[in-house]
Amino acid sequence: MSTLSSGARAGLYIHVPFCVAKCPYCDFSSYSGIEALYAPYVEALLQHIASAGPEWPGPGFDTLYVGGGTPTVLSADRLADVLSACKSGLGLPHDAEITCEANPGMVTGASLAILAESGFNRLSLGAQSLDSGVLRTLGRIHDPEAVYGAFRAAREAGFANIGLDLMYGIPWQTLEVWRDTLHRAVSLDPEHLSLYALTLEEGTPMAESVWSGVLPEPDEDHVADMYALAQAVLADAGYVQYEVSNWARRCAGDTPGAPPRLASRHNLHYWHNDRYLGIGSAAHSFDGRSRFARCTDPKEYVRRVHNGESTREFCEQIDESLEMDETLMLGLRLMSGVTWARFQERFSIDLRSVYPQALAGLSAAGMIEVDAEGVRMAPGAYLIGNRVFAEFLR
Amino acid sequence: MSNNLEFVRNFCIIAHIDHGKSTLSDRLLEDTGTIASRDMAEQVLDRMELEREKGITIKAKAVRMLYSPAEGGRTYTLNLIDTPGHVDFGYEVSHALSACEGALLVVDATQGIEAQTLANLYLAMEHDLDIIPVLNKLDLPSADPEGVSAEIEELLGVSPGDILRVSAKDGTGVDALLTAIVEQIRPPVGDSDEPLRALVFDSHYDSYKGVVAYVRVVDGSIAGEAPLQIMSTGRKVEPLELGIFGPDLRPVESLSAGDVGYVATGLKNVRDCRVGDTLTGWQRAATEPLAGFDPPKPMVYAGLYPVENDDYEDLRDALEKLQLNDASLVYEPESSVALNLGFRCGFLGLLHMEIVQERLEREYELDLLATAPSVEYEVELTSGDTISVDNPAELPDMSYISEIREPWMQISLFAPKDYIGPLMELATSHRGGFDKMEFLDASRVVLYFDIPLSEILVNFHDQLKSCSRGYASMDYRFTGYRAGDLVKMTILVNEEPVDALSVIVHRESAYAKGSLLVRRLKDVIPPHLFPVPIQAAVGGKVLARATVKVVRKDVLAKCYGGDVTRKRKLLEKQKEGRRRLKKVGKVELPQEAFMTVLRLND
Repeated sequence: MSTLSSGARAGLYIHVPFCVAKCPYCDFSSYSGIEALYAPYVEALLQHIASAGPEWPGPGFDTLYVGGGTPTVLSADRLADVLSACKSGLGLPHDAEITCEANPGMVTGASLAILAESGFNRLSLGAQSLDSGVLRTLGRIHDPEAVYGAFRAAREAGFANIGLDLMYGIPWQTLEVWRDTLHRAVSLDPEHLSLYALTLEEGTPMAESVWSGVLPEPDEDHVADMYALAQAVLADAGYVQYEVSNWARRCAGDTPGAPPRLASRHNLHYWHNDRYLGIGSAAHSFDGRSRFARCTDPKEYVRRVHNGESTREFCEQIDESLEMDETLMLGLRLMSGVTWARFQERFSIDLRSVYPQALAGLSAAGMIEVDAEGVRMAPGAYLIGNRVFAEFLR
Repeated sequence: MSNNLEFVRNFCIIAHIDHGKSTLSDRLLEDTGTIASRDMAEQVLDRMELEREKGITIKAKAVRMLYSPAEGGRTYTLNLIDTPGHVDFGYEVSHALSACEGALLVVDATQGIEAQTLANLYLAMEHDLDIIPVLNKLDLPSADPEGVSAEIEELLGVSPGDILRVSAKDGTGVDALLTAIVEQIRPPVGDSDEPLRALVFDSHYDSYKGVVAYVRVVDGSIAGEAPLQIMSTGRKVEPLELGIFGPDLRPVESLSAGDVGYVATGLKNVRDCRVGDTLTGWQRAATEPLAGFDPPKPMVYAGLYPVENDDYEDLRDALEKLQLNDASLVYEPESSVALNLGFRCGFLGLLHMEIVQERLEREYELDLLATAPSVEYEVELTSGDTISVDNPAELPDMSYISEIREPWMQISLFAPKDYIGPLMELATSHRGGFDKMEFLDASRVVLYFDIPLSEILVNFHDQLKSCSRGYASMDYRFTGYRAGDLVKMTILVNEEPVDALSVIVHRESAYAKGSLLVRRLKDVIPPHLFPVPIQAAVGGKVLARATVKVVRKDVLAKCYGGDVTRKRKLLEKQKEGRRRLKKVGKVELPQEAFMTVLRLND
């Protein structure tokens, strides 16, 4: 059995499976039009949080991420209740990174103030774009003004750590429109930026429209150009890329070769293959031995919690060899890569002796960098990362 | 069996594909009570799953029926020998005809005379058979018995009254047909007292009985387990069993002149008892064998390779077993730089190739990769030697070659006269030379062309069907080798020649085919991390070039806690997909790449 880094804490994730309207590209677990379920669902979350402690073998939590869906469809008071339950029931410390996802069209100065007061110290705003045409293509309910408004309101409410999510590779989105969105985004001076290429997920209306020819399929080269543009614009604006799709504002105290201080600490848990506990329907957990998911239907989740039944639905045993592979698959997404020391500490074996062929092959192909510290993707390989990750899956 | 030959009739049915031969055979079996109707599996004689699926007969088969006409009270033994309808299996037809005195010429009343009707009719005439013309499918509303009768009258010089009209499907006219078989086909002649001479007209392999030879006894008789010999080799055979086709193998004590039956030889290889051989007595041997037939010569060659290198031995075993029942399949080990170890196989035609490949994949559960089919070229070297080349990769450098000769065919295309234009265009665009045109009747014609076999190997039949809305049919026969201005086109992938992609083309079409080939390859080869140039070259000169796209983006945008399992499986799937590609140098080629050459004529 591996020993997770002794200093490593765990992440806590809470899923809110509701949205005002389902976005046409989204395949996440979320539902719209079931407002009647909000109250019972929050009740179930509170009950589950209160009882989850004993079944959690892992170390204490140092991050909380409330995601969805759209958590902000719930009132700020309810979200505050959830956070307070995490503190009392699961020992979430006050200095933890506590993030709430928010939809720019749905937050007000008042609601943001409640969130900030209750202890949320990081806001992740799903801006997606700052171009009204692109937002329409994406079927979002907000316009660029709503993003600026929400951002200002969040600052005023006291959020000192705000992340923006943006999407590119959207049908009809030109390089110029993307450049403009990037400039507008950095002018807001957010602490964090996540840039996601549109992924056409089977079964979503967006994918159907593209595959049936109603929407133009984003060209791979064009998407690659957008990525390169974003890298250049954000570097210029003082942001450090620390993961394939994530950037944080550079700040004093950043250590070279390690993720920047303003990186999402919660998400770093995932990429470091640390343990995490997920609560709420469809939420995933990893307790060091197995990865498991809760039932996806929120109504069923509420029923099971209410009846004291297990909410686990899917469970995958992770043996040590798989855990090593996943550590590489996830860790190499980070620009800081995987260090020999960290791997050695966790698995009591030298990474180089486990993957000699992958390291030699990828290194010869110029796709990874190997040095005294560890292994990481070569900058030119970020966009073809799958070819790198796959080599470590045995 | 000892018969009064007067009451024996040996006949076959000749027909174009789909004209109802199998259905008619079944109907005869049922009407003579050979098989009770409740035991009738649809089309008894097409035993192979593939035969039923494709609606064709691949191998000749035989069945014995007993028939007692209403008047006369005598019982006749009718031996029906089934013949394949597809041109690839033409040699099988001649075996069957040699064992018969008569033939039913079955023509679909909705279609009229087609290419194979005529080809097989001529064969039957060469064998001097009594021919009974039969119009089938009278039950169909689209039947045109008058029009089609006129075609047959013209062809055979018979009067309308001589043409039987039946519906094999509902049984109409089948009694009259049985009567006609007895009355119009002559009984076999032969002397049971002469030394034995039995013609082997087909065979199959049985794991207990060894090679089971299908024979027509011409003279003398075979009795019990008396030893026999195969005249071509002098090999001794001790029969394990004699029998007739009922239609299952039914043992009998003896077979005598005029009979059709089988001899279980116990031999372990169909090659030891070839179709066309004559069986005679071991003690009392005949002096002259019967006129046999030449063993079929493969017309089409292709490499068959296991997708997984580990399956090579399994493929060898499977080919060995398949060959036990298919003497026309030839193969030998071959190795390719690109594809590793496999077998070069010779086939009678493309349908035969397709059938063999499908049987290997289905019956032996192998994943196969077939290279583009090739004809066999005669290559005259500057040294004066002549070699045969059936694999373009093995063609010597052009500087050692003084001449390349390729097989030419005469093809006959049957179609309504409205399609003369498109058919002319089709044939001439494939280097076909127009020979002559004949009118079958006022509305239908036969066009004859000389054409290189390589031009009609792939897709020609599909193109023929599409340019004639399905109305045209085709027959072909080999006419000889002719010199041509042929060149070897080498395909270079990432600057390396890939042997399995080489192709021999006519110099005039080299540029066009080269351009098409590299474009197609560029489309089927997945993007690589580096640019992969594809070049088509003749004699070191590059005629066409294209470059495979470079992968610029292949990364999952998101991977968070809820995604790990799903994303990992996605990566594993991608990796598995790449593992199935054939690695040639640094380049990964999908199977389609090797079939690209096939689609050059599209």
